[in-house]
This record gives sequence, C-alpha cells and structure tokens, in this order.
Amino acid sequence: MSEIAIHLQQVCCIAEGRALLDVGALNIGHGERVAIVGHNGAGKSTLLRLLSGFMPAAHGQVDVLGHDLTGSPSAKELRTLRCEVGQIHQGLHLVGRLSARENVLIGSLGRVTGWRSWVRHFPADEIARADAALHSVGLLARATTRADRLSGGERQKVAIARLLVQQPKLILADEPTAALDPAAAGEVCHLLAQSARHATLISIVHNPSLLPLLADRVIGLKNGRIAFDLPIATVDDQKLTNLYRPDEATPTVPWPIAAANPNQALLT
Amino acid sequence: MSVRAPTARFGDRFSGRLGFLGLTLIYVLLVAACLGTLAHEDELSLGRNPLANLVKTASEFAHPSFLDVWFGNPNLEYKSDDGSVLRVENRQEVEADYLAGLGRATWTTLRIATLGSLLGALLALPLAVLTARNLAAPKPLAWLAKGVLDSARAIHTLVFGLVLVGIVGLGPTAGILAIGLHSMGTYGKLFAEAIESLDMAAIDAVRSVGATPGQVFFNAVWPSVLPQFVSSHLYVWEFNIRDSTILGLIGAGGLGLLITEATSLFQWGRLSTVLIVIVLMVSAFDAMSRRIRQALS
Repeated sequence: MSEIAIHLQQVCCIAEGRALLDVGALNIGHGERVAIVGHNGAGKSTLLRLLSGFMPAAHGQVDVLGHDLTGSPSAKELRTLRCEVGQIHQGLHLVGRLSARENVLIGSLGRVTGWRSWVRHFPADEIARADAALHSVGLLARATTRADRLSGGERQKVAIARLLVQQPKLILADEPTAALDPAAAGEVCHLLAQSARHATLISIVHNPSLLPLLADRVIGLKNGRIAFDLPIATVDDQKLTNLYRPDEATPTVPWPIAAANPNQALLT
Repeated sequence: MSVRAPTARFGDRFSGRLGFLGLTLIYVLLVAACLGTLAHEDELSLGRNPLANLVKTASEFAHPSFLDVWFGNPNLEYKSDDGSVLRVENRQEVEADYLAGLGRATWTTLRIATLGSLLGALLALPLAVLTARNLAAPKPLAWLAKGVLDSARAIHTLVFGLVLVGIVGLGPTAGILAIGLHSMGTYGKLFAEAIESLDMAAIDAVRSVGATPGQVFFNAVWPSVLPQFVSSHLYVWEFNIRDSTILGLIGAGGLGLLITEATSLFQWGRLSTVLIVIVLMVSAFDAMSRRIRQALS
C-alpha cells in the first residue's frame, strides 16, 4: 500500500434524477485487493463504471491512477486511463466473431496503433505474448476458435488472458463468476487473483466463499453509500446478512421465502 | 391510491385466442369477397378451350429448340408453289447463332443484376445508417431516409425501368438503374437490421481497453456487421438475377428481350430454351451464394 491508486472525495453519481452512488471518501492503495459487496442496485457496478470513466461523476473529486476524472475529462484522457485499467464482466465482454487469440490481442490495442490495429495485423511479439497468456489459462489449444463458440468458463478465461496481455495497473472485475458453475468459478477466481499479482484488483462478488480468494479488504455498499469498509478477517456472515437485508424505510418485496431465509440472497 | 390497469394497446386487442379467431374470420371474409366479386363479374373463366391449349403448349415446351434442331431434320427447305426448292437453310447453323445470342443476352442480364445490386447496396448504406434505431440519427433525417427506402421498396423494378427507359433511353443502363433503385429499399432494411443487431458488449469490450474510435470500429463493429452485409448482399443479388431476366420486356436488354421475341412469335420451343438457361443460371448462383452464406454464419 505504497501510494494511492484511487481517491474519491464527496463523489455523487446521478442518473435520471436518482443518486446511484454517494461516497464521502474512499482511498485504495496500489496493489490492494478489494471486494465490493451489496444488494442489487446498491451502486457496485456504478462504482466500477465511474473508475473506468464510463460513468461521469455529477460532482466530487475522482482520481484514478493519477488521472483526474473530475468534471468531464477529454476522450483522450479517458483512453489513456483505460489502457491501464483491465475489465472483466460476466463473460459477455468478448467480440463473438473474433477468435480467442484475436480477443486476447485486443488487450494490446493500447500499444499497437495505426493501420495494423485496424486490419488486426499484430506484431509477432504481441502474438507470442497472447499465446503465452492463452497457455497460462490453459486455452492455447482453442486459440483459433471463435469466442462465441466457447463455453462460459472458457470465455472468462479468454478475458483473463486479455488482462495478461494488457498488463493493467488496475483490474475491475464485475461479477466475473456470475454465469459459471462452482468449479469453474473457483478456477476463474484463482486465475484472476494470479493475473492481478502486480495490480490493484477491485471485484464485485456475491458468493461469500469466493471473497477470500479475491480480496483482503471488503467494502459493503448499501443504497449507494458505503456501509462498511473492513479487512476480510473481520467480515462475518452477520455483517453480510445485515448488508443484504432491505431497509425498513425502503419498500420490501412481498416474498415470504426471501423474508424467511435472508441468506438466500447471498447465494444468487 | 387507486390502481388502474393500463389501457390495452392496439396490438393487445389481437392477442389471445379470441383475437386470433377474429383475425382468422376477417381473413376468411376477405378471401370470400375477392372470390365472390370476381365470380360475379364473370372474370373467373379459364378461356374457351383450356385443356387442349394446355396440352398443345406443354408439348411445344417439351421440345426445346436446341434439342429439336439437333435430333430432328437439320435442313429446312423453302419451296415455291410448284414444288421447286428455292433455298435450303441449315437449321443447326441458325440455332447455333441463336444460342450465341442467348449467351450474350445471359451475360447482359448478369451484368445488369451485378452492377444494379452493387449500386443498390452503395445507395442503401448511408440510408441504413440513418434509419438504424440504435445509432439514433436526427429524427427528421431518419424519417426522410425511411421514407426513401420504403418507397423504393414499394415501387416495382419494372415500374422504375419503364420510367428510366424514358429518361436514359433503351439499354442496360436503364436496367441497372432500375435494379439499383428498387433493391436499395431491400438493402436498406437488411443493412439497418444488421446494424441494429450489433453486439454492444463487443463494442464495450474493445472500448474498455482504451481503444481509439477507429480501433473500436475495425475490431468490434466491422467483424460483427460485415458477414451480415455480405450475406444480405448475396441474397439480394441472387434475387436481382431473377428480377433482371424480365427487364428486357421493357427494352432494357438481356434475356427478357429474347422472352418477348419468342412469345410474340409463338416460338414456344425457343422460350423453353431461354427458360432452361434462366433456371440453370439462377440455381447455380443460388447454390453458390448459399454455400458462401453458410460459411459466413
């Protein structure tokens, strides 16, 4: 935790007249591994979108990897930031018609410029790097398979291989295991944690058993605000249950099963 | 707080079993009205001697001119009234000339269809970009483009051809322009659908690594749109090859000219030859384009 990777101060994100995110202060250091937990609509994805510059802050100070995102940053500023930010989503963030190798090479677009990147004629060293990345996630044999012919777990591994080629300083993982079975989820989390050894990792996780794999620090969001920000060791089931339980103020869903078993929400 | 059910939209009225029954009833009534009025006006007759005509035409069609000439008597003798031979014509040579003409006409038809299709595709591209809903072009421009495409689709190639022959004169140019203008409507609709079904996740994936707009276009938009563009191009092209065979009827040249000739001289054998060529050409192109489209999917 040498220097600050992310610094938020009095940040508020507003969409359609509703505050999606309202953060007083948040600092995340370089190399930290942070998990974000919270109910649906708590502002988790909004926070990640804010950090990658896809969601503007209505007001407040946003600083990511030394890039000032306060106000409306220029498109060029956002692009240089995104070159250093790797993102993983629920397995849908691939170009379906391109091969696994070409999808991995997308990670090198920040370094390869001009006509070569337009016709996807990548330099040999980038191709070698992509193949090495595919090898390390165990998918080299599927390098020429089109991404939309891969299984959910394989797609997620291709996305991780893309991270390895991109070599970002910050990795944002938005529910990387949402569409996977438990075995594949564990494997993908291991690979993700490995690939993030030299980077800051911020992941949105719903499954409590995967938390220790991906995080040392857990931030709980509730209705757009930070409910707790604790080391992983001090986070227990009771805190998570409280976090996922709807407020008395907000209208509850008349669903007797959910009310009888609040842990249900943790598993979804 | 009073709760009110949302009012039914127009489309909702036709949902459900009762609505479907109503629609079926309306359709049956329409068919009955068409049949009834035609019968009432005495327009449903089959002519005076349909069966004999059918047999006669069919037997003439069964003798395509080139086969007839090849296996029949090659020499056609022109005789005067007293029986002396005036001239002997080699029917095989005449037919060979005709077949050469047929080849040239087929090539003209192919050229009209190919160039017309390309013209239609190029004209449709900007209009499709304007009408694709997910690109959200300015409303007035989108409406204008949609109006142009809809009217191009509504007006038949032949109608375009008749008007254009009056403007640019007889010949393939009128045919190319007619094919281009009509198929522009079809292309526009297909292209717009291809753009609308664009995979936004793929675009986000490339944008999220900090790619420039050019890189996003060539790495995410182009790969997902191009196969669909090529596939619809082949489809409409194939359609236009069929369509352009008829353009000769209005003087745009090509196979249609031979069809008019043969029908007005009642040369059913020659018409049969022309039709065989058309069927062969269309099915060959159809098979080829189907292969390519399958490989692209």
